[in-house]
Amino acid sequence: MLVVALAPNFDDPGEEVLEALRAELRCLGAALLLIGTDHSFCFRPDDELVEEPSTDELRLWAAQLFRAQGVESEALTPETLLLGLLDDGGSLRWHTRRELDGDPSLALLEAARLAAKSALAPAPIGVLSRREVVLTSLIGALSLVLLEGCKRSEPQRPAPSASAVSSLAPAPFEREVTLNVNDKDYRLSIEPRVSVLDALRERLGLTGTKKGCDHGQCGACTVLLDGRRVNACLLLAVMVGKRKLTTIEGLAGPAELHPLQEAFVAHDALQCGYCTPGQIVSALGLLREKRATSAEAIREHMSGNLCRCGAYPNIVKAIEAARDAGGDALPARAT
Amino acid sequence: MRDFDYVVPKSLDEAVARGKQAEHRFIAGGTLLVDLLRLDVERPAALVDLNAVLSERISWAPNGLTAGALARNSDLADHPDVRRELPALSQALESGASPQIRNLASLGGNLMQRTRCAYFRDPGVAECNKRRPGSGCAALEGYSRMHAVLGGSRACIAVHPSDMSVALLALDAIVRTRRSQGGREIAIADFHALPGETPQVETALEPGEIVTEVFVPASGFSRRSAYVKVRDRAAFAFALASAAVALELSGEKIATARVALGGVATKPWRALEVEAALLGRPPTRETFEAAAKLAANGARTTPHNQFKVELARRVVVRALERAAA
Ligand SMILES: Cc1cc2nc3c(=O)[nH]c(=O)nc-3n(C[C@H](O)[C@H](O)[C@H](O)COP(=O)(O)OP(=O)(O)OC[C@H]3O[C@@H](n4cnc5c(N)ncnc54)[C@H](O)[C@@H]3O)c2cc1C
Ligand code: SF4
Ligand code: FES
Ligand code: FES
Repeated sequence: MLVVALAPNFDDPGEEVLEALRAELRCLGAALLLIGTDHSFCFRPDDELVEEPSTDELRLWAAQLFRAQGVESEALTPETLLLGLLDDGGSLRWHTRRELDGDPSLALLEAARLAAKSALAPAPIGVLSRREVVLTSLIGALSLVLLEGCKRSEPQRPAPSASAVSSLAPAPFEREVTLNVNDKDYRLSIEPRVSVLDALRERLGLTGTKKGCDHGQCGACTVLLDGRRVNACLLLAVMVGKRKLTTIEGLAGPAELHPLQEAFVAHDALQCGYCTPGQIVSALGLLREKRATSAEAIREHMSGNLCRCGAYPNIVKAIEAARDAGGDALPARAT
Repeated sequence: MRDFDYVVPKSLDEAVARGKQAEHRFIAGGTLLVDLLRLDVERPAALVDLNAVLSERISWAPNGLTAGALARNSDLADHPDVRRELPALSQALESGASPQIRNLASLGGNLMQRTRCAYFRDPGVAECNKRRPGSGCAALEGYSRMHAVLGGSRACIAVHPSDMSVALLALDAIVRTRRSQGGREIAIADFHALPGETPQVETALEPGEIVTEVFVPASGFSRRSAYVKVRDRAAFAFALASAAVALELSGEKIATARVALGGVATKPWRALEVEAALLGRPPTRETFEAAAKLAANGARTTPHNQFKVELARRVVVRALERAAA
C-alpha cells in the first residue's frame, strides 16, 4: 500500500512528525510518497527519508490518480493537502482533502491517522514482493531514486520477479549463510536483519512455524535450536551458524506422526490451530528437559506459549499422554 | 526493521574497539535487542556479535560462582550448584521470561536489559528522556501503573525489569568487564545507574565496555536465600513487585540480612532499612512484618502505582518466610 500526498507548499515534516508518521505507516504497512511543488519525499516506516526534486511526470501521475476519484488537483490552491491510499491493485481506495491553515506537518499527520483508521484491512508490516512488483509497474513514472526509498523493506520471497525489484535497491549488508533445518542444508543470501522465522517462512517456504507477535511474547514461532526450544522471531538467521534447527515440519516420520502430534490430535488439544505448531515444538523441548513432571509443572513450563482459543486443559493432557508414551525423542533424522 | 551491518569480531579487544564505534551495538542472545530493533527503538549501524569472544562457562568453587557473560539464563537457573548454593539466583532466573527466551538470553544481556516502559518502547511517542534525551517523560503525566515508586527522578520513573539482577544484588555479586584499558570489577550495587537527569545512562559501563563474567561470592547467607515475584498473571510476566532476600542466622537470631527489591524501582534496589530492622531479631513473622513496613520508605507514587508500596512489603515478608523456612 502506498500513501500518496499532494502538498504544494511543503518543506520538511520535521523529526517529531516523522516519528509519528512512521507509527501510522507501520500500522498501514505502507510507504509514503509526498509530492510537493519543488521537492518530493518518500519513505517507508523503517527507512530514512529520501528527498528528490519533483518531476512533471510525478505530478501528472498523481493528478491522474486523484482525477479518477473526481478530484481535480490542478484546481486546488497551494493551501490544500490531498492525501490518498493507493491499494495493491493500483486504485485509490480512500482520500481526504484538508486546508492547511495551521502547521502543514500536523495536517499531514492528521490525514495519515485518518487514512490508518480508514484502512479496513491493514496490510501486515513489511510488504511482500508481489506488492513491490505491482507498485513498480504502477509508479513507473517516478524517478528511480525515489522508488528506491519506497522499495527497501522486509525480506522478500524468492519470486522470479523479485530480483528485478532488489536490483533497484541493492542490499549492502546481504551475505551468504547456510541454515540447517530438519537435517537439510539450505544456502541463502540474506540481510542480517532477517529473523529465523522470516527466513523459514518467506525464503524456505517452511510456513508451519507461525508468526504471532514477532516479539517473543506468544511462542507461536517456537523451533528447536540444537534440540532446545527458542523463539525463531528473536533469533537472527546470521547468528545461527552451524547449529541445527528443527521445525514442526521435521517432527513427523515418513509415514507416521510424532507421538506429540498424535497426542494433540487424540486429545483435541486445539481449536483454531494457529498456536499448535509452536505448542507442539515447545512441548518437545519441554519433554527433552525432563520437567513435565506434573500438570502444574507442564503449565508453568509451557507458559511461553499462549493460546487465544484457550485450549490449555487439553494441551496439558496431550503433553502428559505424550510424556507417558515416551514422546521426547527427536525425529531420528534430526538428532 | 531497518537494515544494519553485522560484525563478528575475532577477539575481545576487537569487540571492544568495534563497540566504541558510533551506532554499534553488542548482541548476545538478541532477545532484547531484536525486539527493540523491530520496534524501531534501536537504530544501529551495525551489530557486534559477542558469541564468539565470550564464555558460557558456569563453575562453582568453595569461594563462589563464576559464570561467563554468555551463560544462558536457563543453564544458570538449572545448574545444580546454583540451585543448591544460590537459590535466590536460580529462582529469580526461573521466574523471568519464558523457557524459550531463557534458552537464548545471556547473563550479560540480562544485566544490560532495558526498561519495558511502554512509552520508551514506542517511537511514536515524542516525550521520552531515555530514548530522546531532553524530550520529556510521557509516563510522569501518563499511565504509570508499571512504573517505579523508588529511585525515580523528574526525568524518568522507568522500572529496571531484570529479575536476575535483583538476586545478584542481594548476593553481593561482582561484575567483571573488559574495556580498552583492560579488565575491571564493578560491584553489582554500582553497576546500574539511577536515572537522575540522565536516564539514557543506564549502567556504569563505558562505550565499548563488555561484561565478561559475573562472580557471586559464597557467603554465610547465600544458601539461605529466596526470590519471590508477584505479577499480573501466574507466569511469563514482568514483576509488579519482587524481592530477593538472604539471611544468616546465629542461634535464634538474624545475624546478617539482605533484602533487594525488583519491579518497584528504577534500578535493582537494596532495602537497607529493612535489613537493619531484621538484625538481632528472631526470624519470625512478627519480625518480618515489622521490618517490611520500611520496605518502600521514601516512595514517590502516582495514583496508578500506589499499590506497589503495600505489595512490596508483602512480597518482602513472603520472601523472608521462604528463606527462613
Ligand atoms: C517477552 C519477553 C518477556 C521477558 N520477561 C522477562 C522477565 O519476566 N524478567 C526478566 O528479568 N527479563 C525478562 N525478559 C528480558 C530478558 O531477560 C532479556 O531479553 C534477556 O535477558 C537479554 O539477554 P540477551 O542475551 O538476549 O541480550 P541481547 O538482546 O543480546 O542484548 C541486550 C543488551 O545488552 C547488551 N549486551 C549483551 N551482552 C553484553 C555484554 N556481555 N556486555 C555488554 N553489553 C552487552 C546489548 O548491547 C543489548 O543492549 C523478557 C524478554 C522478553 C522478550
Ligand atoms: S519513564 Fe523513563 S523510559 Fe518511560 S517515558 Fe519517562 S523517560 Fe521514557
Ligand atoms: S512470534 Fe515469536 S514469540 Fe510470538
Ligand atoms: S488453538 Fe487457537 S490459538 Fe491455540
